[in-house]
Amino acid sequence: MNTSETERHAHPRKGAGAPPVVLYRDVRKRFGDFIALSGVSMDVRKGEVVCLIGPSGSGKSTLLRCTNGLELIDDGEIELDGTLLPRDWEGMRRVRQRMGMVFQNFELFPHKTALGNVAIGPMTVLRMTRDDSVTRARALLDKVGLADKADNYPSQLSGGQQQRVAIARALAMEPEIMLFDEPTSALDPETVGEVLNVMKRLAEEGMTMIVVTHEMTFARRVGDWVVVMERGAVIEQGPPEQIFDAPRVDRTREFLSHLGWSG
Amino acid sequence: MNFDWSVVWRNADALVEGTKLTILLAVTTMAIAIPGGIVLALMRLSGVRALSAASASFVELFRNLPLILVIYTAYYVMPVATGLSLPPIITGIVALALNVSAYNSETFRAGIASIRQGQSDAAFALGMSRWQATYEIVLPQAVRRVLPVLASTWVSLFKDTSLVSVISVGELAFTSMRIRSQTFRVLEMLTAMALIYWMLGYPQAKFVDWLNRRFGISE
Repeated sequence: MNTSETERHAHPRKGAGAPPVVLYRDVRKRFGDFIALSGVSMDVRKGEVVCLIGPSGSGKSTLLRCTNGLELIDDGEIELDGTLLPRDWEGMRRVRQRMGMVFQNFELFPHKTALGNVAIGPMTVLRMTRDDSVTRARALLDKVGLADKADNYPSQLSGGQQQRVAIARALAMEPEIMLFDEPTSALDPETVGEVLNVMKRLAEEGMTMIVVTHEMTFARRVGDWVVVMERGAVIEQGPPEQIFDAPRVDRTREFLSHLGWSG
Repeated sequence: MNFDWSVVWRNADALVEGTKLTILLAVTTMAIAIPGGIVLALMRLSGVRALSAASASFVELFRNLPLILVIYTAYYVMPVATGLSLPPIITGIVALALNVSAYNSETFRAGIASIRQGQSDAAFALGMSRWQATYEIVLPQAVRRVLPVLASTWVSLFKDTSLVSVISVGELAFTSMRIRSQTFRVLEMLTAMALIYWMLGYPQAKFVDWLNRRFGISE
């Protein structure tokens, strides 16, 4: 954390003046003997795109899943807009309605059309009428460029299209913050771009986003703040210029070199 | 040996009535045993130990007892044990429903378990409750997946309804046997009965084959 403090002058943090939307304080999580998170502290400011990078198994996805309570943390605190996240399932359910999540494997509902997938959240959780939900769903499919695929089932869509539907599905709940869990890792290379473009546009609209990603180009161009994790801990964080051009920690440099990223 | 097939035509009305009752028994039993099976499966998977144990005991009891024994027990013991004296047809439906619910429970349990965790996670991430995730997301997919299995349970049930003839429910088997004992036309009545069951069962079995082709391989 000291790293980011000293670096602030060279590369100011975009969200420096904005209040933290999500704040992690010494967050710990273990699965049996495996320590997934060993005391993570960081924050995400309003309107920021925070990219979590690091080797597999470093705890990035776990941190994301703890953020919306799909996993409950063992120790530490997470605050959303200054309020501590509840530790119980029912309390987390209300919090989850304010966060959108996009999964690596899309996890679209195969028995529903693209439109049905996007409309189901507002219809069941927000208890909106079918007409209102469908209207909202159509607008969102249009936003991700899939208005003409509304009646297709997920199995009839390409990976990139499915992931864009999944983004629309998450947006349908009008979340304050979007969580992306390696959204392009399961995609064919030629469809990665269309998903990243949708995410970039969201970022430009001012959506607060936490993105677990291996797409370093995306992290560099779209990310406002990059957090490097290893073995359940944050080893370095800073603006992309710092992380990619002048990493302060050897392990960051090593990790990036393994990816063939030469800065 | 000389045959007198006219016995079948002379008793056509009774046979039709018996057939109607057979269909009614099967339909009513399944109408109870499908929700019954879903409830038992959800209890088993609820994570609440008492519910899970109750469901498991129920299933293992009725799945492993001969159906005919359940039917006899329901007929002779239930009125004594509960003070409830039900008409034979209701008793028969109860016995059949107990048995088929147990089977359906295992079918639905396998179906629900086959839907990956990510689907529930996606539902939870939208803010759905456990019940909403189950009802809107998991169950519709699970039911689709087990449809072929349910259909073959249905075909078995259709034939197994004949067992309730032992408690004098006037369905197809009972009616045929009654006519047989009144007319001593054994072979004619057995043949007629076989034909009726077969003609009703065969299209159903074909329908199951079609379901298997249509839904058996999913995604």
